[in-house]
Amino acid sequence: MCANILPTDITLASQNADPAKLAAFEARITRGEKIEPGDWMPAEYRKQLVRMISQHAHSEYVGMLPEGSWITRAPNLRQKLVLIAKVQDEGGHGQYLYHAAETLGATREEMIEALLNGRAKYSSIFNYPPLTWADMGMIGWLVDGAAIKNQTMLAHCSYGPYSRAMVRICAEESFHNKQGKEMIYRYALGTPKQKAMAQDALNRWWWPTLMMFGPHDSDSPNTPQLARWGIKTKSNDELRQEFVDETIAEAHLVGLTIPDPDLRYDEASGHWLIGKIDWDEFWRVVNGDGPCNKERLAARNKAHDDGQWVREALAAYAHKSKSAI
Amino acid sequence: MNSAALAAKLLALADDEYILGHRDAEWTGHAPILEEDIAFANIAQDEIGHAVLWYNALKDLNGDDPDRLVFFRESSGWRNAQFVELPKGDWAFTMVRQYLFDAAELVRLAETVNSAHRAVAEVSEKIRPEEMYHYRHTSNWVKRLGLGTEESHRRMQAALDSLWPRALQLFAPLPNEDELIAAGIFPAPDKLRAAWEGATRSWLTDSGLTIPTITASAADREQHTEHLAALLAEMQEVARLEPPDVKW
Amino acid sequence: MDTQWPRYEVFEKERPDWPHRNAGSVHAPDAEMALENARDVFVRRPHCLSLWVAPASEIFSMTAEQLAGFDWRSVPAGPDSEPYLVFQKQTQRAAETFVVHVGEVEARSHAEAMSHAVEKFGSGGVFVWWVCPARAVTRSEESDVSAMFAPSESKPYRQPHFYKVIAQLREIKSKASE
Repeated sequence: MCANILPTDITLASQNADPAKLAAFEARITRGEKIEPGDWMPAEYRKQLVRMISQHAHSEYVGMLPEGSWITRAPNLRQKLVLIAKVQDEGGHGQYLYHAAETLGATREEMIEALLNGRAKYSSIFNYPPLTWADMGMIGWLVDGAAIKNQTMLAHCSYGPYSRAMVRICAEESFHNKQGKEMIYRYALGTPKQKAMAQDALNRWWWPTLMMFGPHDSDSPNTPQLARWGIKTKSNDELRQEFVDETIAEAHLVGLTIPDPDLRYDEASGHWLIGKIDWDEFWRVVNGDGPCNKERLAARNKAHDDGQWVREALAAYAHKSKSAI
Repeated sequence: MNSAALAAKLLALADDEYILGHRDAEWTGHAPILEEDIAFANIAQDEIGHAVLWYNALKDLNGDDPDRLVFFRESSGWRNAQFVELPKGDWAFTMVRQYLFDAAELVRLAETVNSAHRAVAEVSEKIRPEEMYHYRHTSNWVKRLGLGTEESHRRMQAALDSLWPRALQLFAPLPNEDELIAAGIFPAPDKLRAAWEGATRSWLTDSGLTIPTITASAADREQHTEHLAALLAEMQEVARLEPPDVKW
Repeated sequence: MDTQWPRYEVFEKERPDWPHRNAGSVHAPDAEMALENARDVFVRRPHCLSLWVAPASEIFSMTAEQLAGFDWRSVPAGPDSEPYLVFQKQTQRAAETFVVHVGEVEARSHAEAMSHAVEKFGSGGVFVWWVCPARAVTRSEESDVSAMFAPSESKPYRQPHFYKVIAQLREIKSKASE
């Protein structure tokens, strides 16, 4: 944010790995200090954060599409307002996160371009289609519930801008989760048609939601490094287990069936143990071959292309008014 | 007071706000830049929120349930202007429509905050600050797009040519509206139209745009384009899976 | 080449007795639109009393760590003195708070403003410093409050307590035990 004012670029000059600096950096994290833009950080810390934060931002931006497609069909005035506000918040969360990545030197032009040309990744969950109205409730209950687990952890992250974005997002996301629960509780106890819709939605969203937490710890090479640097303080499997235990209790209460024949309660540990996750499906979707990858990218590209003359016109007007002064 | 005339007026106001809000919401996730996705979703919520206030005022008058009116009414029963039901078009079309609508709202609300009917005055008081903000936002957009680039100017002029004549429908008097005017509940439409033209003509001209000449008279609110039925079919699809008394 | 427009830092004042504090940033083509975008991005929920926006390119930032190793002599100063706003990050505890407005200094350049800020406001317990020329800041007006900020009050459905899920669950449980 100050590159064009400082005579020398302090940040880049100090980028080469230096054991003393690294030790001081890690000591700051151990003391619970936040690393702020401009502070010395290992190149790998910066790289991992830009990767994670921009993927997270893209997930929010692309995440507007599946739910956005149901705004025109919301079945009452209240649900319509709620859904617009929710999708609007997702745009807001994308905006906060792009900002956090910008503090590390990434530009929004670059990040958006990487998203549009398919180079950047985003959460695989948004490549599944919402097929009925009950999916709006199920996404709030499951997908947002899972996201909150991850985001609550990241609110404690060592990088100041990411952690602050997460604090804001968690506060707002709680409404998303609650409106989803409200819908699913109602439909699970509603008319036979509503109940069938809720169960069908659970059947389709359960496994993709569990995949949102990422590969098992044994297959997740980044985790120890990210833990030491205070970025991810809980592992994928820990977060997944917390989510599973809470969600299954609620599902049973409202009479919904978890679509997992191998699911069992383990008395010894007090945890629900799930069956095998289909990681082949996960990697297929992550690598671009999910049910909606092409559709999502096409929609983002269309909005971007259709908006180009608009962005250019306002830039041109600003330029003209400046030269007029 | 003629309560049927008042009910008809409230329904027209509510339907305008609702259908425009619905069209605006179609941009959510598809706007030209992320900041405007958020801004326009806000305008959409405001307009639908205003519709809810007018529908509730109508409910207090004749007992009509707002959700039933919106989700179980055939297109022939809608009293919105065609102006708001047209597809969202490009960003220029959306912006010009929203701007012309916001200007019409502002001139009417400036009068109806003093309405002789308490509910009308109260709803107007609630709506007005939000419409003032819309007008600030959309008038800034209109100026920037009108004077921005050759392409933005061309698109804005095309949008204005198509929308200006249809906007006049917002000021077409309803049957028996003269009784509401006489009772001091709503202002006379021709007075509003003059105030609206006064504000919009100079701003649009300053934005480099030419006001088209009008040849045809405005359609009445019982006539709709083919776009309304399509909008309603999609909009009512989920609600109509169950009878109207089922809660979603 | 795409443009996402320049970035503006946003400062929000939420209570009469609180200073303006940095909320994040927005992209906008000019200052007026930046102010509007800041409203729509950061004031979806109550309460906001005032917003400031400033081009990110006008903000000079230094962390305590950078300040320790900075050579002030390397910084050229312009001929004219003008007011700068000073912001500090003062705590590691408040998770949501970054830099807050603490006051003003007169200076001939961003760097000179920084050195005056450190002299005037003290460097103990400050983790990040920002300075920004006052002329670069666009502010909402007192009269903007009703149209810009009050409308977030009309959208209670954006708040979690609008949804009575606990009551729903209680009802479900009591029905199950009947």
